[in-house]
Formats: sequence, C-alpha cells, structure tokens
Amino acid sequence: MDFYKHLNDNAEYLFSDAVDHVMVVAISIGIALVLGCALGVLAHRSPRVRPMILAVTSTMLTIPSLALFAIFIPLLGLGTPPAVTALVLYALLPIVRNTVVGLGTVDQNVLRAARGMGMGPWRRFARIELPLAWPVVLTGVRVSTQVVVGIAAIAALVNGPGLGNEIFRGLRSLGSPFALNFVLGGTLAIVVVALLFDTVFILLRRLTTARGIR
Amino acid sequence: MVATTSPVPQKIDLEVKSNARWLVMPIFLTVVGIALWAWVSAQELDSIEQRTLNAGELTARVIEHLQLAAVSTLIVIALAVPLGILATRRAARFVAPVVLMLGNLGQAIPSLGLITLVVLAAGVGFKSVIFGLVAYSALPILRNTMIGLQQVDQTLVKSARGMGMSPMQTLLRIELPLAVPVVLAGIRTALILNIGTATLATFFGVQALGYVIFQGIQLDRTPVLIVGAVLASGLALLVDYLAGVVEHVLTPRGL
Amino acid sequence: MTATDQIAGPGASQAAATTAEPMIRLEELTKSYRGQKKPAVDRVTMDMPRGEIIVLVGPSGCGKTTTMELINRLIEPTSGRIHLDGEDVTTADPDTLRRRIGYVIQQIGLFPHFTVGENIATVPKLLGWDKARIGNRVDELLDLVGLDPAVFAKRYPKELSGGQRQRIGVARALAADPPVMLMDEPFGAIDPITRERLQNEFLRLQQQVKKTIVFVTHDIDEAIKLGDRIAILGEQSRIAQYDTPANILSNPASTYVEDFIGSGASLKRLNLSLVGDVALDTGAATARIDGTAAEARDTLESSGRSALLLLDGQGRPQRWVDARDLDRADGDLRRAGEPVSALVDTGATLSYALNEMLTSNAGVALVVDGSGAFQGLLDFETVMVTTRSIQRDSSDFYRAAKAVTD
Repeated sequence: MDFYKHLNDNAEYLFSDAVDHVMVVAISIGIALVLGCALGVLAHRSPRVRPMILAVTSTMLTIPSLALFAIFIPLLGLGTPPAVTALVLYALLPIVRNTVVGLGTVDQNVLRAARGMGMGPWRRFARIELPLAWPVVLTGVRVSTQVVVGIAAIAALVNGPGLGNEIFRGLRSLGSPFALNFVLGGTLAIVVVALLFDTVFILLRRLTTARGIR
Repeated sequence: MVATTSPVPQKIDLEVKSNARWLVMPIFLTVVGIALWAWVSAQELDSIEQRTLNAGELTARVIEHLQLAAVSTLIVIALAVPLGILATRRAARFVAPVVLMLGNLGQAIPSLGLITLVVLAAGVGFKSVIFGLVAYSALPILRNTMIGLQQVDQTLVKSARGMGMSPMQTLLRIELPLAVPVVLAGIRTALILNIGTATLATFFGVQALGYVIFQGIQLDRTPVLIVGAVLASGLALLVDYLAGVVEHVLTPRGL
Repeated sequence: MTATDQIAGPGASQAAATTAEPMIRLEELTKSYRGQKKPAVDRVTMDMPRGEIIVLVGPSGCGKTTTMELINRLIEPTSGRIHLDGEDVTTADPDTLRRRIGYVIQQIGLFPHFTVGENIATVPKLLGWDKARIGNRVDELLDLVGLDPAVFAKRYPKELSGGQRQRIGVARALAADPPVMLMDEPFGAIDPITRERLQNEFLRLQQQVKKTIVFVTHDIDEAIKLGDRIAILGEQSRIAQYDTPANILSNPASTYVEDFIGSGASLKRLNLSLVGDVALDTGAATARIDGTAAEARDTLESSGRSALLLLDGQGRPQRWVDARDLDRADGDLRRAGEPVSALVDTGATLSYALNEMLTSNAGVALVVDGSGAFQGLLDFETVMVTTRSIQRDSSDFYRAAKAVTD
C-alpha cells in the first residue's frame, strides 16, 4: 500500500518525467532513423564502405553508456544535448543494419522491371526499394527503441531528463524508507514506456506496410 | 547489446572478411591510448585531478572494473548455460517458450533500475553489485544457449542417436559444438553488458571506472571525466575484441 | 586383404545361409501413440532374410519410416518383439543395439563440424576402436564408395556435392561393418540423374558387402529397381504384399497393390529383366568389315536375311548393309550402308534396351558383351514376350495367329 500511496503522491512528477523520457527517446530515435537510413542506404549502395559503417555503429553499442554520456559533456554541457547525442549513437546500429538487410533482400528482378518501365533512380528508391525494405527497417527501429528506452534512464546521471531521475532520487537516498518507492516507481514506469513504444510499433507496422507484403 | 537484430540472409556481407580486420581494433586502441596519455601529460593537473589521475589509482579502478565484469560473467555462464541446456531437454521442453517470453519482458527493465533494486534488497558492496550484474546479463546467455541448441538441425540429432550415441554423447559431441557460435555470441553480449553496467557500480560502493567518470562530472574536471570515459570505453572495446578472437577460435571449423 | 574382402567377409558367409534364420524378425510389432485411437504401426510381422535388400514402400503417412525406426528402436515399440540375428533385442540397450545397425536418413545428417573422416569414424569411436584401426577403416570405406581418401578425408561436409555427401552417409553407416543397414529414402533429396547413378552404385556396393538392408521409399520404381523383396504397406503399416518384385508385378495380391504399382506394371517388369537373360536372335548375318564385298554378299545370300551386320576385328558391330549397298561398295565396306545404333550391354535392363530401340528408330537392339563384341539381336517381339505376365493374355493369341499364317 505504501508504494501505491507513493505513486499517488508523486503522480505529477512521475508523469512529467515519463513525458520527458518519451520525448528524449522519440527525438533520439527520430534523428537516428534519418541518420541510420542514410547510412544504411550508403552501406547498401557501396559494399566497400558497408563493413566500415557497420563496424563503427556496432562499436557504439559496445561503449559503456555512462562513458558515452560523459564524453559529450565537455562539448555539449550537461542535460539533454549529451543525452540525445549518446542515445542517437546507441540507436544507429539496429537501424543501419536492418536497412542494409532490408534493401539487400529486395528482389533484383523487381528493380529490373521498374527500370524497364522507365522509373528513374530516385523514383525506384522511393516507390519500390524503400516500401519493400520498410518492414525490416521498422523492426530495426523497434529494437533501437527498446535499447534506448532503457539506456535513457542513465541520462539522469548527466543531469538529463526522464524517468532515470526517479531512480536517481531513490539512489541518492539509499537506506531511507522512500528509496525503494522511487526506484521501483521509476523502473516500472520505464517498463511501461517500453511496452507503450512497442505497441506503437506494432500499430505502425500494420499501418505503414504495403498490403501486398504484410 | 550486440546481437539484437533479426536474422541476416547470407548473401549480404555485413562484416569485413579479410584477416586485416583483426588488426584494426588493436591499432585504434593503441592510437587512442597514446593520444590520451599525451593529452593528459600536456595538462597542468590541479591537486584534485592528481588525486584521481595517477597510475596507481587508475590501475586500481581498472582492476576493480575487470573483477566486476569477469566475476559476474563467469557466474552468469555457470548459471545460464546449464539452465539453457536443461530448458531445451525433451522433458522440459514446455519451459523454453515461457523462459523466452519472460526474458523478452525482462529486457524492458532498465539496467540502472534493476541493479538499484538488487542493491536495495542486498545492500551496497561488491557482492550486491555482482548479484545485480548477474541478474541483468543472465538473459542473453540463457536465451542464446536455448536458441543455439534449438536451431541444431534435428536430423543431426536423429542421426547421432540412430548411430548409437547416448543422449549425453549427443549433447556433448553434436548439439553443444553446433550451438557454440550462438552461445559464444550470447556470452560476448553478456560480457559487454557487464562491462558497461559495471560503470554504475560507483553508486553502490564499488568504485571501478564509473568512479573516475562521475568524479569528473561532479567536480567539473574535464581531464578526469575524459580519462574515465575513454578508459571505460577502451576497456569495453578491448574486451569485446578479445571475446571476438576467442569466438573465432572456438567456433568449430566446417560451420 | 583388400577393402572389399574385409567387408564382404562376414556378409558373404551369411548370404550363403539365406535359407537359415532371418537376419531380422518382427513379431506382432505395434506402436501406438498416446491420444491416437489407431496404432501408427499395427501388428507387423515379417522376416527379413540375410543379405537381401528389403524395401518398405507405401504412400506417405503409412508408417513405413516408423516401422523402420522401430527396428533400431529410435521409436520404442508398444508391443511385439524384434529379433536381430536370432537374438531378441526388444529390450536390449538401445545405444549398443544401434551401433550394430547402420543408419542412413534422407537428409544424410552428416555432422557439419566433423570432417568426412571424423564422420565416418563416429561409430568406430563409440565402439572404442584404436586410432590406427579407425584410420585404416576410413580409408577403406572412402575407397569403397569411390572417393579418394587423400582428397576427401579432411574435407568438411559443406565442401561436398550432394552425391558425395550421400556416399559419405553410406560409408559412415558401413563403418563398423554392421550386418544390418536401415536406409530411409537415402536418395530422396537428390536430382534424378544423380539418383539413377547412385542407385546403380548402391547395387554394385551391395554385391560386395551383402548386408541385410531395410530400405524405405515411397517410390515404387525405386523399390522395384533396388529390392530383392518388397513389402507394400498400407495404412498403419499393414503389409499388403511382401514378395519379390517379379511376383508382385505379375501377381498383385489386391487391388490396393495393383493401384499402388500403377498402370505401367508390365513396363516396370522390364526393369527386372536383363538383356542377357532373354533369348536373343543369334542368327544374324555378319561379315568382317575389312573383308571383301563379294564375301559379304555370299554370306548375306546364304543367310536368307535382307541385311547384314559388319563387324570389326574384335567382333564389334560397325555398319548395317543390304544387297544394294554391297553392290555399290566398290570393294571398301567401311563406307557402305548405315552406321549401327542401339547398342546395349548384356547387363542392361530390358527397359533400357527398349528405350534405345525407340530412340534409335532401329526397331532392334544390338546386344554386345562387356568388351563390345556382338552377341545377338534383340527385337520388339522378344521384349514383348518377356513383359507378358504369367497369365495367358492377348499376345498368346497374337502369336498363335501369326504362326498359322506363316
């Protein structure tokens, strides 16, 4: 009952932190999607740079999150900017990789047919390649989002926004009777945010996938 | 978080195939190391910075960090691999989907939240942090062990049994060797998770490299922050690289 | 001792005792699965003689694979007994039992992380053979299946073609020289041309090793080609007919069997008889191609036939000539008449010979022995007489009618 009371008392803070969390994740994923797709297309078009792009983006996932957040502080100061920068870097690999895989699995005969019908390169990409690769790309975005929702909690340690602040509040009061409530509240809220994002992706997938390949 | 995405069709090369790829990371890390050392040497360090940034202190932090990662990963391997094997045995087959589903749900729990909860329950200190790391990194190994064993071609198992191998012989000689690449990938993922999450140990009474980073942030000392962050990243990349080498060596030929 | 001697050793003596105890005896063998009303295999009783290929054939889902897997107890029978070489193995240790039974499945199931040599060595290793013996055995078996040990022993399965994998699968099953082999559609996943070749190789191999082989297939033609005995199975693995291919083709026991064999039963019989087994027309007029046209014309006239076959020094057929060709020959017979076609070996099946006749348009096949020397002529009529089933049929009347008008 204690925890329930805590949730009631802190609903306002919890909610605003949750909104911040969602915003930070959404902005990071949005940037990562544009950047990741661009890198993915580049990697798809040029088999030479492909392993390099993938190696660098996968290296990003290896770097400890606290370190990556911290490293941008001298450049960008504390708060949201280093948090978003780090989260974008974490989100890149799944998106880039799935873009490459998605584009790679597009049937070459379909593209040949499109060219035969007189579609130009840009039109071929926008009308044929991207729509066919889209479900795979979207799966990558979904994986990225899952990763980023969890890591965003650590942004609080560099004064970033989001639900990590709830956990951090509990962490600073370790030993006090409220600690558990804050940590539990923040953690569960993050799980809820993660599940919400997942639901959104399931819907997005249905809505944005061409009917013929659903 | 290394092995997260959907299966990759074979026709697309996502990795460098030439042997030169094994040289890239050591060279990169050496260059970064030298650059860091040169940069710090060129700084005039005040007394606060000197207290953290000296060879003895930093070595101690790196060792603490490695201890956390190594001990937790070993415990996770010892727990999750046998569990994964058990969960895929015929008698326990119904367990597997349940474990995988719970595991996927558990993935949504943030590392910071999970480890803080564990420490709240078990108190601060090395053991609690290890406990937290184990709880967080068990999933990739458990899952990869199960998937690795499940994806072994069942006709091979049938062949082995038909030739008179006992269930144990089949497991040891056929199933496990064929699952090795997937299991190793899981172990590598867990190891990297542990190195990354170990930076948070500083909030729970074990300094490690997170201490250096957080000192840099709190005391607003850029050199300390940079050294901590670069050391933690370099360590993670080095360990990942070494794990990759081990993975390559241990993967059975012929696969 | 050569490779084949060693392998044939025990098998050959067993083959001599075919009339004695069967190698495999199944008694009332039944397998029921929980939750299924009817048993999957219902009271199968059969004797499988030593050194023979016994083919279990039936439509998919009839339980033929289950029946086979009951023999090496990959599936445990619900009731009934299994005897192997006179010994009741129904409750023997299954792992030990399986090491005595070679096993090949359709997917072959070569272990991808083992080399070819290690794959073949699997059962000998389980049996605790020493290294030298295993090494020798691997080389021996690779030779036996026609793959060079120096080239293949160290390769991995992924470096082999489908046909090579299949051969390695058979070699692996033969490794510990088991008296019995179980083969579950081993040629099922192979392209038709390679399959034909592997089947022939398999028969040749069996001539050497003389194993008792239980062979599962859904292909009646494969069954007829390979089987010494065929068990045609119906639902729940009930035996519709268990007999030699010839008897099954000429006397199908039921309409079920008839339907299963399909319409071409007589044509299928052509696969059972070899050209060397039928009476050939040996009265053809022949002459040496390096002889004179005059000699040839004499032979032709005295033979009463209208064409003459020119043979070379080794007796191999070269050209067909008739009287007009000989008149025009100007002494050199090498360019007279037409080159021969439709040459068939005495070891070929009648089906093959018939095919040759039809494709060459000759209406007659020239039968030669292993060295290519002319043996005689085979015509449509002879083939037809052979295809005729044991019952009197219209062809008897046709022949009778023909004899009268002659």
